Amino acid sequence: MTNPLTEQFSAPLTFNWTLSYSCNFACSHCYSREEQCAELTLAELKQIVDRLARHQVPFINFGGGEPLIHKDLFALSDYARQQGLNVSMNSNGWLLDKQAAEQIKACGFRSVGISIDSADGALHDDFRNRPGSFDRAVNALDELAAAGVRSTMSSVISRINYQNFNDLLDLAREHQVAQVYLHNFKCSGRGFKNRQELDLTPEEWKDFYLEALKVKEETRDLLISFDDPVIASLPGYKENSLVKGSSCGKLSLHLRPNGDMTPCGFIPLVVGNILQDDFEEVWYNSPVLNKMRNKEAKGKCQGCGAYEDCLGGCTARAFATTGDLSEPDPHCWK
Amino acid sequence: MNKLQRNPDIVWRVEKRRQQAVLERMAAGEEGGDEGTVILLISGMMHQLNLLGGMIWTLCDGQRDIEQLVTELQKEFDVDPTILQADVQEFVADLVERGWLSYDQSTD
Repeated sequence: MTNPLTEQFSAPLTFNWTLSYSCNFACSHCYSREEQCAELTLAELKQIVDRLARHQVPFINFGGGEPLIHKDLFALSDYARQQGLNVSMNSNGWLLDKQAAEQIKACGFRSVGISIDSADGALHDDFRNRPGSFDRAVNALDELAAAGVRSTMSSVISRINYQNFNDLLDLAREHQVAQVYLHNFKCSGRGFKNRQELDLTPEEWKDFYLEALKVKEETRDLLISFDDPVIASLPGYKENSLVKGSSCGKLSLHLRPNGDMTPCGFIPLVVGNILQDDFEEVWYNSPVLNKMRNKEAKGKCQGCGAYEDCLGGCTARAFATTGDLSEPDPHCWK
Repeated sequence: MNKLQRNPDIVWRVEKRRQQAVLERMAAGEEGGDEGTVILLISGMMHQLNLLGGMIWTLCDGQRDIEQLVTELQKEFDVDPTILQADVQEFVADLVERGWLSYDQSTD
């Protein structure tokens, strides 16, 4: 079975790129805090950029790990811009002062996302295990605004914030944020270990999304985005996604610090190495990627009327909890 | 003057594999000209242009006016020049209205 849409794409639209797993934080939900991986030299990183440019990958987004810790971040970003790539990153904001904001501007970043998990500073600091992190994150938003860089806010929805997400939207408005991403909770790394404490029940997810989609519909002054395929099963959901189901392996891939490619940061299955393997061979023929693109309904997904739209929900979550890419998303309420 | 220029904020890509397949089908006398060969990413939405639209888009690099576009396209498409001119004008007008293309009004 072929997927005409996937077949059409000659390469991912986005590479989510972890330059290093090093981080100055130890967040309760982090997928990567306990990961270790060899890192590449700047020359090797530039070779990766050359390959991405050759395959016309339009976007790279640095994550991690904290990208601002990486000594070559700006040199690499500058180089990537020169090769025609659109560069963005996600940061905890701790190191994003005036000087960093100006460097970000000079390097031509398209946008920078700052992670803020609660509008209550003490709660955010506790979640991030770093006193003062809320103030530094908010200050980062202000420095980005002052430097003329488009900012976004990334908030992982969990038990600490799902009933107060409107406060996060207000916080975003106060600090000239262009777009808020309300990320779904992933059960990977520490998120897996702490899921009993942090994750919502399927019914709570449903209630959250119904409310959040209503707020999104009514909001005109702020872009609100979700990245959770499970919401496609909600009645009346009419978002026009580029693909159905998880976008991982269809629109995006993840790069580990050593150049290994995985479908996304939350699925630790290496499909190839960007420096060592033929990219097109991996992109078109990887058994893992093709399995993700052509999922088969299993368990309660079999016969479910929503499957055609959600394709089983988040593949990463299914894999983390069952070891099977095609099992139903554990967040599904149906 | 009146050179056509793509909106520089629009991210786009030629889907070479798809384009090649469409060209091969057309060379064999089959249909296939309506499939997307160029994708545009605009405000989180993806739009697709068919073979003719994609070629027009690719040629709108600020160096050509409509007459020059038609001349270039005439080399690729064996159709009546009058029909081609009308198709190009209609397509360009639509994209100009959307803000995806603009006319460079500066003089040569």
